Parts: sequence; C-alpha cells; structure tokens
Amino acid sequence: MASLDDPGEVREGFLCPLCLKDLQSFYQLQSHYEEEHSGEDRDVKGQIKSLVQKARKAKNRLLKREGDDRAESGTQGYESFSYGGVDPYMWEPQELGAMRSHLSDFKKHRAARIDHYVVEVNKLIIRLEKLTAFDRTNTESAKIRAIEKSVVPWVNDQDVPFCPDCGNKFSIRNRRHHCRLCGSIMCKKCMELISLPLANKLTSASKDSLSAHTSPSQSPNSVHGSRRGSISSVSSVSSVLDEKDDDRIRCCTHCKDTLLKREQQIDEKERTPDIVRLYEKLRLCMEKVDQKAPEYIKMAASLNAGETTYSLEHAGDLRVEVQKVYELIDALSKKILTLDMKQDPPPHPNTLRLQRMIRYSATLFVQEKLLGLMSLPTKEQFEELKQKRKQEMEQKRILERQAALESQRRLEERRSDLASRATNGEAKAAGRTDEVRTLQENLRQLQDEYDQQQTEKAIALSRRQAEEEDLQREQLQVLREREREREQGQAASLHTRTRSLDFREIRPFQLEPSREPRTHLAHALDLGSSPARSGTATKTSPPSSAPEPFRGWSGPPALGQEFLPQSTASPRSEAPSLNPFDEEEDLASPSAEDTANPPAPEPSLGPPACVLREYNPFEEEDEEDAVAGNPFTKPDGPAPNPFEEEDEHPPRTPASPPVPGNPFEEAPCTNPFEEESDGGQEGAEPIEEELLLQQIDNIKAYIFDAKQCGRLDEVEFKVPARLGWRNWLFGAVHLGAFPVTAE
Amino acid sequence: MNVVFAVKQYISKMIEDSGPGMKVLLMDKETTGIVSMVYTQSEILQKEVYLFERIDSQNREIMKHLKAICFLRPTKENVDYLIQELRRPKYSIYFIYFSNVISKSDVKSLAEADEQEVVAEVQEFYGDYIAVNPHLFSLNILGCCQGRNWDPVQLSRTTQGLTALLLSLKKCPMICYQLSSEAAKRLAECVKQVITKEYELFEFRRTEVPPLLLILDRCDDAITPLLNQWTYQAMVHELLGINNNRIDLSRVPGISKDLREVVLSAENDEFYANNMYLNFAEIGSNIKNLMEDFQKKKPKEQQKLESIADMKAFVENYPQFKKMSGTVSKHVTVVGELSRLVSERNLLEVSEVEQELACQNDHSSALQNVKRLLQNPRVTEFDAARLVMLYALHYERHSSNSLPGLMMDLRNKGVSEKYRKLVSAVIEYGGKRVRGSDLFSPKDAVAITKQFLKGLKGVENVYTQHQPFLHETLDHLIKGKLKENLYPYLGPSTLRDRPQDIIVFIIGGATYEEALTVYNLNRTTPGVRIVLGGTTVHNTKSFLEEVLASGLHSRSKESSQVTSRSASRR
Repeated sequence: MASLDDPGEVREGFLCPLCLKDLQSFYQLQSHYEEEHSGEDRDVKGQIKSLVQKARKAKNRLLKREGDDRAESGTQGYESFSYGGVDPYMWEPQELGAMRSHLSDFKKHRAARIDHYVVEVNKLIIRLEKLTAFDRTNTESAKIRAIEKSVVPWVNDQDVPFCPDCGNKFSIRNRRHHCRLCGSIMCKKCMELISLPLANKLTSASKDSLSAHTSPSQSPNSVHGSRRGSISSVSSVSSVLDEKDDDRIRCCTHCKDTLLKREQQIDEKERTPDIVRLYEKLRLCMEKVDQKAPEYIKMAASLNAGETTYSLEHAGDLRVEVQKVYELIDALSKKILTLDMKQDPPPHPNTLRLQRMIRYSATLFVQEKLLGLMSLPTKEQFEELKQKRKQEMEQKRILERQAALESQRRLEERRSDLASRATNGEAKAAGRTDEVRTLQENLRQLQDEYDQQQTEKAIALSRRQAEEEDLQREQLQVLREREREREQGQAASLHTRTRSLDFREIRPFQLEPSREPRTHLAHALDLGSSPARSGTATKTSPPSSAPEPFRGWSGPPALGQEFLPQSTASPRSEAPSLNPFDEEEDLASPSAEDTANPPAPEPSLGPPACVLREYNPFEEEDEEDAVAGNPFTKPDGPAPNPFEEEDEHPPRTPASPPVPGNPFEEAPCTNPFEEESDGGQEGAEPIEEELLLQQIDNIKAYIFDAKQCGRLDEVEFKVPARLGWRNWLFGAVHLGAFPVTAE
Repeated sequence: MNVVFAVKQYISKMIEDSGPGMKVLLMDKETTGIVSMVYTQSEILQKEVYLFERIDSQNREIMKHLKAICFLRPTKENVDYLIQELRRPKYSIYFIYFSNVISKSDVKSLAEADEQEVVAEVQEFYGDYIAVNPHLFSLNILGCCQGRNWDPVQLSRTTQGLTALLLSLKKCPMICYQLSSEAAKRLAECVKQVITKEYELFEFRRTEVPPLLLILDRCDDAITPLLNQWTYQAMVHELLGINNNRIDLSRVPGISKDLREVVLSAENDEFYANNMYLNFAEIGSNIKNLMEDFQKKKPKEQQKLESIADMKAFVENYPQFKKMSGTVSKHVTVVGELSRLVSERNLLEVSEVEQELACQNDHSSALQNVKRLLQNPRVTEFDAARLVMLYALHYERHSSNSLPGLMMDLRNKGVSEKYRKLVSAVIEYGGKRVRGSDLFSPKDAVAITKQFLKGLKGVENVYTQHQPFLHETLDHLIKGKLKENLYPYLGPSTLRDRPQDIIVFIIGGATYEEALTVYNLNRTTPGVRIVLGGTTVHNTKSFLEEVLASGLHSRSKESSQVTSRSASRR
C-alpha cells in the first residue's frame, strides 16, 4: 500500500467515517458510530448520517434490495388498514382476509448468508481496483509484485504442499501460483486470469454504488485517482519474467466465480430488452388515454345535449388527440407482437406468448375505451341540438314565468288584503296595536318581496330579450354558413355532405383498412409513375424525371381545397385555372404546345394513364367513402365513375386549349400548408371532415370541368399527397422551368 | 362472508403489491384452480399479468424483465421447486405468497437459496380453497374417507382448507360437529388444534356472538345427492358436470368447436348470475327473452345498414353485441342440451318418482312407481339404480321392504353389476344404521302439522318439493333449537345466543341443492350469514364415486344380504 503514490489511501472493511476504525460489520459500525460520535458537531453528524444512509442504500442497490423497502412499508400500511375502523358487524365492504408476513424472518436468514457474500464480493472488487490502479505495462514486474503483495498478504509457500483445488503436489515443475485477490495458492492448471477490461468493468460498474459503501471516508479525489490509468493503452512492453500475463490478473477459481457472477448481475441490470422499452411507452399511452378520455366524454356528452359549455372545435381537437394515442397504442402493441419474430432461432414460445398477451390486452383496452368515445355532433346537428335545447329552455322558462306570475298575483292579493286591513281603523280603534304592528310588518315584507320579484322579472325579461337577440344572430349565422356551404358544395347535395362527414366518425374502426390502402397506394403510385414517365418522356423531358412529379400531382385535392373556399359561386370557372396539369404541359412540354401537336402526346399518355387509373387515388377515396355512400355517384348522376367516362372520350382530351391566365399565380401564393394549419386551428368542425368534404367537392368540380374541356390527362394524375405538390412546385422553381414570373 | 370476494381480494393485493411492470403469475396445480375461479383472463391481463406459469413446468424461459408473483400451496414439492427457482432465478424479482401456514424451517431454506436476493416478499395469504359462489366453497377432494375414517392426507388438506377459510374471513369460531360421525369429530379437533397453535393468527376482534363452525357428514343425508335437480346451476352439474366453473360440452351432438368447453361464472355472466337459482321452466322463458333481446340488437344481415346512424349504432353496440352473442350462444347450447337429456332420459317422470321417494311416506305407491319405471326402456341404468337406491334408503326398515325384488328387476333390466353393487354400498354409506337423525319421518308436532298441511295444499312443483336435510338443521340452528346431544360443541363453552355467522362444512361433499338452500336462508333470514363448504360439490355421479372410494362396498355384500335377509324375514 505504501508503495502506491496514491494520496488517498484505500482501506477496505467497515470503516468508521470519523475515526477510520475498522469495524467488523455494518451493524457494528452503525452502533459504534452512534455510541462514539453521537455527541459531535451536528453538521458533521448530518453529513455523516447521509453518508451512512447512502451507504445503506448503495448496499441495497448493489444486491437489488429495492423491492424490500417498499414491501416493508406496504405491509405496515396494510396492518394499519386491517385493524383500522371497520365495524365488525358491517361486512360490506369486506376486509381483506388475514395474512402473515415472513419477510423479516426470511431476510434475517438471507442476510446471514448474503452479508457474507456481499462483503466477499466487495473485498474482491476493492482489491481488483487496487491491482488495476496503476499502469501495469509500464511498471517493472518487481514493483508490480510488490504492489500485488501489498494488496493482499500472500499465503506462505511452505504452508501449502498440495494444490488445494486439484490435490497435485507442488514441485519445481508444478509451481505455486498466488491468487492476487485472496492470496491463496493453487497450481497453474487451477489458476484463472482476469483480463483488464473485465476488471475495469467490474470496478467501474460498482463504483457508484460501492464507493460510498465500502469506504465512506474516501475523498472523491482518491476515487478518481484510483480509477486513473486503469486502462493501459500503451503497447505492452514484454515483461522480463517468464510469465507474460501482466495485462491480466491471476486469481483462483473461487474468486473468479464470484466475480463472474457479479458481472452477470451488472449485465442484467444494464440490459433493457426492446420489449420493455416498447411496453413502457405503451403504458404511458394508456395512462394518457385514461386521463384524456373521461375529459372528452364529458365534453361530448355536454355537446350532444346541445349545451354550449365547451366548444365543438376544442372537443374535436381532443377527439383527434385521443384517437392518435389509440393509434399509437395499436401500433406499439403490434410492434411488440412482431418483435424478434423473424429472428433465427425463433424466440422462446413463452416470449411469443407474452407478446401475444400484451397485444391482446392492448386490443381489449382499445376496444373497451375507444368504443366508449361517443361521436360529436356535426355542425348542423349541433346547431339543431342547440336550437332544441333552447326551445326546451324556453318552454321551461315560460312555465316558470307562469308560475311566478301566479304566485305574484297571489302575493298581490294578499298585499292588498293586508293593506286594507292595516289601514282599517277598526283594528286601531280596538287598540289592538300589536296586531296592527304585525300586520304592518307583514305588509312591509310582502311589499319588499313584491318589489324584488318585480325587479327580477325585469331582469329576466331583459335577459330573455338579449338571448333572443343572440338566438337570432346565431340563426342568421347558421343561415349564412349554410349559404356559404351550399356555394362551396354546389355539386354535392347536403345529404352526401353529412354522410361524408359521418364517415369520419366511424373511421377509428377502420383505421387499418383505411391506412393500408394509402400506403398501398403510395406504392402503387410509384409503380404507376414509371410508365407514365416514359409516356411523358416522349413529349419532352419532364421537369424532373424522378417519380416526384407524379406524386406532385397528388396535390390537386389539397390544392383545390384551398382555392375553393375562396372561390365564389361557381367553382367551375376557377377550376380550369387551377389545373396543375396545364402547367405541367406548359413547363414540361412547351414544344408540344408550340407545335400544336395535340394527338402526339395523347396516345403516348394513353397507356400510362390506364395504369395510373388502376391505382387512382380516387379509388382510395371511394373505398374510404364506400361506407358513406359514394359521393361521386350522386352528384354526377349519369356517370357513376367519372374516370370511366373520361376514358370514353380520350380523343377530345388533347384538344383542350391552355387556359388563359396563369394558374400558378394563385397556386404558389396560397401555400396549402398554411391554409391547412389555419384551418386546423379555426375550423369549427373536426377539420378532417371538412377537408375531406371540400376535397371531394373540389375534385368533383375539377373533374366536371376537365370533362367539359375534354382534358383527360389532367384527371388521371390526381393523387392525395399534399406534400408532393409543394415539393414538386419547389423542384420546378429550382429547375427554372417554372413560368410563374411571366405574368 | 363472501368467499369469492375474499380470495379475489388476496389476488388483487398480490398483484397490486408487486407494482407496475410486466408480471408473470407462478402457480401450482391447485392454486391455478383457485385463481381461475375468481379472476378471468382479461380481467387479470388489465393488471399487467401477462403470463401464467406452473412452478413445476420445466420449459420456462429466463425473462429478467418480468416480475414473478408466486402463489403456491406450502407443500414440500412446491418449496423444493421454489428453492430451485431461486437458485437460478428466471425473473427479476419474486413476490412469494403461500396459501397457507408455512413452517419456519421452509422459510429458512428458501432464504438460504435466495443468494441473488431476488425475493421481495414472503407472505401467507389464506386463499386455500375453491370459491365457487359467494357463499359456497369446495376443496375439490373426491374420496376423503376410507371406510368411516379420514384418509390422513385428506384430513390435513381439509383442515388446511377450513382454517384458511376461517382466516380469510377473519373468523375465530366455536366449533360444533355431528356426533354420529367420527370423521366430523376428528376434523373439528384438528381445526381446533390449528386455531390453538396459531392463536396469534386467529386474534380477530371479538364479536358479540362468536361465529360458529358446524361440521356435518354426508352420510347423514345420502338422499340429496341422489336426486335429479331442476334449478339451473344444480341441473347443469347433475347432467353435464361443473368442474371449477367449467362445463365440458364436447359430448353434445353437433357442438361447434368454440363451445366444447364453456365457463359458467356468476362473476362475469349476468344471465347466469340472475338465473342460476331459477328452475328449468323459468330458465326456458328467460332464455327466450334473452334471444329476443339479442335478435332485437342483432343487426339484420340483409338490411344493409342503410344510414350512417344505423351503422354508428351498430358499432357503438358492438362490444355489448359481441359479448351478448357469446352469452346467448352459450346458454342456448347449455339449455338445449339439458332439455335434450331430459327428454331422452325421461327425466321428468323419473324425477317425479324420486321426489315421491324422498318426500312422501306412501310405500306401496312408491314401490309401484319404481317398478313401473324399471320396466320403462327409456330409463337409463343409471337412473334406474338411482331410484332403487332412494327406495332402499327410505324403506330400508319398512315392514314390506321389497328391495330384493327390485334388485332382480335391475338385473333383468340389464343394469351392470357395478350399479347393483352400489345400491348396497349406498345403504352402507348412508343407511339408517349410520344416520344420527331421522331423514324421513317428521320429528316434532310442528313438522308433522307442516307436512300435513303440505299434503292438503298439494305441492307447488312436484319436481322441487324436496328440501335438503341441511335446511332443517340450519333452521334449528338459527332458532337456537339444535339439539346439543346430536350436535355437541367442542370444548366447554356453548353458544348462548342465536348465531349470526355460520360456516357449515360437509365432509364427503356438499351439493348445489344445499347451496341453493343456504342462498335462500341467507336471503330470508336477516342478520344471519351462512357459508357452505364441502370437501367437494357433488352430483349423483361424483357422489357414487365418493361412496365407491370410501371402500364400503367390499363389506357391503354381506351387510346388504343381512339387510335383505332381515327384511325378507319380516
């Protein structure tokens, strides 16, 4: 030890933090401390106490005793409960039955065994630390040996004639080896080695928990000091001695076993399998639902009753939020279910069972809670509900008023009666002053009450008026809104509108089906885009030959949606100017336009168009909307499938002249995303529904228009990915092929 | 005094105490049954218990991310398994609960095995019995006695079960037992011994009237388990067999795959909870209502959910709908099978005669009816033997006993040797010689008048006129009229007041008919709480097995010959 240059001496054992006396056990240390040092300075004491506590905690942590403390407190808590104030004659609620804990007994027996074990392990680790605390490779072997001997006294060679493990006699050939950790002797065969990385791992892992426990007196510096240089990065200089294991530490099998066990424990503690992480996330989500769902249900119930305590938008937002959490739960549990599924070898059946069960319970959870989420009324319904409620309130008020009037009348009668009697000199004359006084008192009270009622009535009346005004205003607003909506959805009847709105509400149950087609679609689009590209390639080179442009056209629904609210009564008149495909033609094939060679692009577009049609995004819309009744069928009447119809008139398509006025002037300035986010905040309805509806309307108008002009190709490339559109726009600008600035 | 709730509370507490995180429940064979009676899978899943393992299963994987809750009986094998488990822990932390008292030495050896300090809890939770209904428990022991005496293994198990019940209900009772039964006395003594030994455990707050444990023996009433039953729960057990709330329907002709085994649990089946004590006719009409209800709720397949409102309604009702469809199909199947068996086995007629044998004293009419039914080819050998057993029990000492003639009829009918032997075995088991009290003839003036009046009025339902003997015993007990010479107390003190909390335990098994009796008594007598228990819950088949297992039939041959000889001599 003295040979070590380390300033902070490392001592092992149960050291008193103040006098550094080595005590034999933790308990002795504690009692020693209490006896000897209890009178000392409070500051120091407090400090030390925390140290001791820390040490105890560390000890517990070291051997996973976390559960014990809690369990102990748990039983105590229970005891107070079981002997607490339940009337023995009242069997409801029934008490928890009797129980008896053996934990203290168990711990006592275990501690007897474990304490020994803990002390052993800690001793070994401290020694290991000392052995690795200096630069082994750059130290002379004699010095190493000296240090090693200082760590633990070596057993005398003469005392051990035979290897204690295998029983072989020691001789010149069969030399004695000393365990560097416990000092015992064994033969070379029975000798084990501990590599420096392992030693390092063991010492560093237990440092946090151990240092406080094993040597509370250590200054933090010394800990660092001892840790310093434990990894020998310098290339090893071969030792002068015959044994070239200076980067390893010799030890006996027993010590090695103990250390390996410890290593295993460290590993287990550090390793958190994927499933645990996912599971924790899952539980978090569930907690969130447990918080949010009741809140939402309260809102929805109130809204459905026509009350105006909560705003419809707010409830809608909350609904979306809760639904998102559900989707997350679903996704997480699915992930857990398929965890390690493809591994080779496949996971243990129990692991699979666990994963299945977690998924199952998540499904149960979602089913149970999600189905409890009632739907919100649509805007119209909400208005109706509000009206209805108002009417009910009105009726109630009328009834109340009648009742009030009735009582008032009665009051008045009595008043006049009393007044007449009070003024009646008869009573006075009779000298019945008492009576008069009480009568007068009564009169006064009645008068007061009458006055009060009158004022109340007045207040109520004015309030009613105000409310009526409100009502009128609201109705007016509703009417106005209706008007606007009618304008927007010229093509769509109100009926389809509510339907498509409603569709949203049942959507949660179709989450998967609706999501899958989408991804399928995106995929399909990629597929479809390559033939399309080849088609356009015949015309000219497209702005960017990657599939992006085609995804770009996924814009129209989004794009249209943002125009149409602004557009006035006739969306049709605007629609052509919005047509992205015009642009496409403009910028992608100016030559085609210039040369006025309409038939040329047409046939080349034909086949890809067909391909695309198969994966047409509208079909997806259709699918989603199928439940709600196809929105296209009704307004379009004669042509159930607009695309089919388009196909029927391909020759007309190319004939369409480019629309005057640059459509892009409007497009870029109204960033679809801004609009959308705005809508999300201010949209009175659950925004998704509104958007969907508008999209449908827009698309319809668009198709209609396209049909009118006979531009088939435009219709083909409508894809609902909004992002693509913007990307494409930007991409086009960068390419410089974008003729926006012209106007 | 709700036994289901008592066990459920224990399990909930275990799960609660283990904190959040994924959990595995480690059980043995018996505790698996105990837990499954009070918790459904989906219910326990919600408490983050995802895996259920048997401690003796070798094929368990190391899953350090799970917490283990061990609920085990304190048997030697379990302790050994646990020691092995703790030496090489498969889970991160262990919460150990024993269902009964565990010895200090076992705790010590467990503690010494826990070198890795994975055990966070060692407790005794006294859920050591099968909670069938809130007022009915069982130990699922078939064949508890050898001859007239206890099988020592079963005696210790029964003692454990009974003391666990007392602990879980927090009762430290006075004990009284049926004098005529040696087994009852023995069990009473054993229970008393445990109470004395573990006096610390049994220190509950004293109640004004101490609870009472009444120990009876099945042999005092061998009639009840021999009767066909007509209330739902009892009938299902009699005809199909209930095992830990599970019913095996695999022998039902044309059964669909997912109905092979169904669970009837009053805890989570509302229809069952409401109907388990109603009779067959009422069940029929209720199930019709259920069907109609279901039909109303069921969306018509063809009607294509025209409006969104329809659809929304459908989806909103879907979980109930689904649950309901499960309930409906289950009960329709069960009731359908019951009614099939009733008509196939001609049970209405058989049961009428059974009830006559059990409740009336008209020997010649009874004999005539039994003889008539024995000629009926639709009456199964099982039912035929049952009728003869009932006749033999009732008219054992009747002057014109014609048991030998009936035995001949049985042989002629082709009833197997096994059943014919059982007739004498049953008499040996529960005959007049063994009975401490009179099953058939009324004892006091009130009872005689009652029976007379009953005869005048005519019975409401011929199939359910039988009242188990237990009813009379309990009635007397509640009224404080139970004769101490027949049911003495163990120890010097006796109960002065009317008892309030009564625990009745029947050695050799209780029946669902008796459970119904106790249920009705609980309902109709305010201030009295009765819990019924038995070594098992019998139907006729299991009762006959019990009789067989008691080994009395070996001696029965000669004794029955004696009986018949003496009878014929008379």
